[in-house]
Amino acid sequence: MAVATPRTTAPHAVLDHIHPEPESFVRKYIFSIDHKVIGVQYMIVGLIFFVIAGLLAEVIRVQLLHPDGRFLGGEQYNQVYSMHGSAMVWLVIIPLVTGGFGNFVMPLQIGARDVAFPWLNMASFWMFPPAGLLLFGSFLIGAPDAGWTEYPPISLLGPPGTSMWCAAIFLIGISSTLTGINFLVTILKMRAPGMTFTRMPLFVWAQIATAALSMVATTALAGALAALFIERQFGVPFYDPAKGGSPLLWQHMFWFYSHPAVYIMILPAFGIISEVLPTFARKPIFGYKMIAFSSVAIALLGFMVWAHHMFTSGMVPWLQLPFMILTMIVAIPTGVKIFGWVATLWGGSIHFSAAMLFAVGFIITFTLGGITGVYLAAVPVDLHAHGTYFIVAHFHYVLFGGSVFGIFAGLYYWWPKITGRMMNETLGKWHFWAAFISFNATFLPMHWLGLLGMPRRVSVYDPQFTFWNQFASVSSFVLAASTLLLFYNMANSLARGKKAGPNPWGARTLEWMISSPPPYYNFKKVPAVLALPYDFGNPLPYLGLDNPQAEAATPAQTGEPAAAH
Amino acid sequence: MAQLVNKPKTNLGPGFWPVTIFLAVLAIVSDYYVIVTPISNFLREAAVPANQIDDLFKFLTVVGNAIFIYVVGYVVYFSIAFRRPKNAPANAIGVQIHDQPQLEFWWTLIPTLLIVALAIFSVVIWRGLQQTQGDVLTMEAVGHQFYFEFRYPKLKASVRDEMHIPVNTPITLHVTATDVLHGFWVPEVRVKADMVPGLVNTLRFTPTTIGQYRIICTEYCGSSHGKMIAKLYVDSQQDFGKWFSKQANLAASGGGGATVALTTGQKDKGQVLFGQKCSTCHSVGPYDQIIVGPGLGHLFNDPAHKQLVDGKDVTPENIAYILHNGYQGQLNGHVAVMPSAQANAISNEDIANLTAYLVSLSK
Repeated sequence: MAVATPRTTAPHAVLDHIHPEPESFVRKYIFSIDHKVIGVQYMIVGLIFFVIAGLLAEVIRVQLLHPDGRFLGGEQYNQVYSMHGSAMVWLVIIPLVTGGFGNFVMPLQIGARDVAFPWLNMASFWMFPPAGLLLFGSFLIGAPDAGWTEYPPISLLGPPGTSMWCAAIFLIGISSTLTGINFLVTILKMRAPGMTFTRMPLFVWAQIATAALSMVATTALAGALAALFIERQFGVPFYDPAKGGSPLLWQHMFWFYSHPAVYIMILPAFGIISEVLPTFARKPIFGYKMIAFSSVAIALLGFMVWAHHMFTSGMVPWLQLPFMILTMIVAIPTGVKIFGWVATLWGGSIHFSAAMLFAVGFIITFTLGGITGVYLAAVPVDLHAHGTYFIVAHFHYVLFGGSVFGIFAGLYYWWPKITGRMMNETLGKWHFWAAFISFNATFLPMHWLGLLGMPRRVSVYDPQFTFWNQFASVSSFVLAASTLLLFYNMANSLARGKKAGPNPWGARTLEWMISSPPPYYNFKKVPAVLALPYDFGNPLPYLGLDNPQAEAATPAQTGEPAAAH
Repeated sequence: MAQLVNKPKTNLGPGFWPVTIFLAVLAIVSDYYVIVTPISNFLREAAVPANQIDDLFKFLTVVGNAIFIYVVGYVVYFSIAFRRPKNAPANAIGVQIHDQPQLEFWWTLIPTLLIVALAIFSVVIWRGLQQTQGDVLTMEAVGHQFYFEFRYPKLKASVRDEMHIPVNTPITLHVTATDVLHGFWVPEVRVKADMVPGLVNTLRFTPTTIGQYRIICTEYCGSSHGKMIAKLYVDSQQDFGKWFSKQANLAASGGGGATVALTTGQKDKGQVLFGQKCSTCHSVGPYDQIIVGPGLGHLFNDPAHKQLVDGKDVTPENIAYILHNGYQGQLNGHVAVMPSAQANAISNEDIANLTAYLVSLSK
């Protein structure tokens, strides 16, 4: 039995007021201010862009089947990989991990009824599809072709669509900044009574670190993009050396954003993994505080390492050293997280659902991506590896083997909560094995391709690299096909998936304490939080749940009813 | 009340130490293989920092390999050993342990020490890269869309897409570019630098192995970026001497513009050529319409610029001189990057045509 009077310190008058649910279709599903609807909107749009950007990746691999690159000409090929990178970073991973999972899950996990600024949240989302249309629309007038980094001066001479690219990224950047502010305020001010910082779920820790990064770093990108746009359209020289501009100015401002952006992409994935692992190992996360604080440490260090992308660009040589050493230091909190996750498996009672497989696969692939990151931090090795396929391999291990595997894990994990229906677990496991094997087969060879002399962003390559490029290409076709299993699984679940119930995984964070999908108001009564959520041996640490049967209804319920305390 | 199926326990499980030892053996054997296998088996070492950078690479691989083996090994072992048995109830829970301060202390301290060691090792090798080794040969490489231009001291003309250097001679290479970013990378030397317009970056290395290598552009520079590859010849001292004097003779026979028969120039041909060779950097508008270099539309009737960039009077002969020799002096506070006729691949006839076209523009 639930305790009748929750120990809350919040004023009841505020908490007891429940806004009526909007009735019109438009206010309910299109211009909704409900964080859950907005989260789903982000996921739908993000996944559509994921398909498009993924197809662009396959075009790249088709081109590289042959050393002469017979499929596309240089110009078209350059547009394709530039758009692949830009779309994956700004239209897929960042919106999915912050706007998608952040929106849907974070307010539920802190026991809030919505984010702090719901209208702002709606505004953030509605900048996202137009930004995507602008970005992909640039294909109509000549898409940007200088890579996702768009280094000047060549981006100043690039196709007309490069200016559209600037506008699109600027727009999505504003959206990202506003979401950052929104989430930061939400997490700081709207946690359920009793949820101190050290009782927050780790996904919330990841989101607060990410929100701070988005809020601060994206402004630098906005400035850089505005200057690039103005220089291209109106000829005001910021970057063109022939007119007294500095190409390195762009690089500094771009990476001042884009290195933190790597953490914007990976920290929420860390958060997802940190939720999935304890749930399916049925064990508390190992070293909660170390994992939580290392998120913050990584976020802080993230602002101090940007120039490690520029070791070959030209800077005062001694300046390379602080950037090198600070970058190496990032490996320490990252290692602490990885070891914590591995130790979470130890002694567990592990159930390998599709979500868990992706989480465990994530540990392996992300570890490899992290280790090669340390190689690149060491200036002398970076002088060899910079600008080669080694870099391509490294960041795909971080962004695909890390962020995207995290997204997959999150999709399988929270799908029942979002839709109220289960996905087919067998199909999910097939998806994992196909994706994990073909991912490694695609990107592992790129390490040695790069070290042996294959530069990135080339439409043709030396014939000595033919075999491994063909190997990677064929593997990437399998990787793309494996993703179809996920989409089929989702469609199948929506059509005839079995009902999930509130808590199919026996998880203990707050979002699982309410029905699936959650009601409009999330929590009729805001629960009080007594402890960390991960103690599977203890009773649930919540008082005043709306639906105490939620716990009893779960097949994997572990603790005693809350009333026992 | 649900039963706790796995009673909380504190030992590491029966398989832990055997697995740990097995992983140690695996790590040691594979690290041994890493240490004894020369990287030059896969990619030749053609110059001095290559061997040092390979040492650092090996250090990283030895440490990274051991860490990776342990992480993957434990993940696989735990995944097998602690898998919930099929017949166990769904609510079976694992060991309810939150942390282990000693373990966390060690797995923070050991990586920290490794990072300190790595940082020291990296700084030592980094210092070696900054040393100027006597400066026996200082030369320049300039990136263009889509070729490399090499300039030698005491050689009037530059050389295109071929870099010759004498073996065992320390090289200080200054790199820059004229149009967009390029990169200078020789995989066998293991170092690279971006070629940035308006900025000079410096690479230092000493070639040790005679041979022919590829110079690869590593910053995206346009549609033919992937084809921007030049050859590096590390020659014996004698071969280099022969090559150098041949180049010097070639440059001398070009002769400072004197042999160019300017009167035969055809402005129509010059106009076509201007579009191919010059318009990337020069407009045909007024001086201020700068792309990389100044606009050339009013060469003969611009009261604000009565002299050419080299301070000479505006005459067809002096224009031809610049076309032939290029100009790399000062221009509005920058180093100008006008390539020579050889670097630009234009013949004396082309120079005459271009000069005729430029003269015609001002009339």
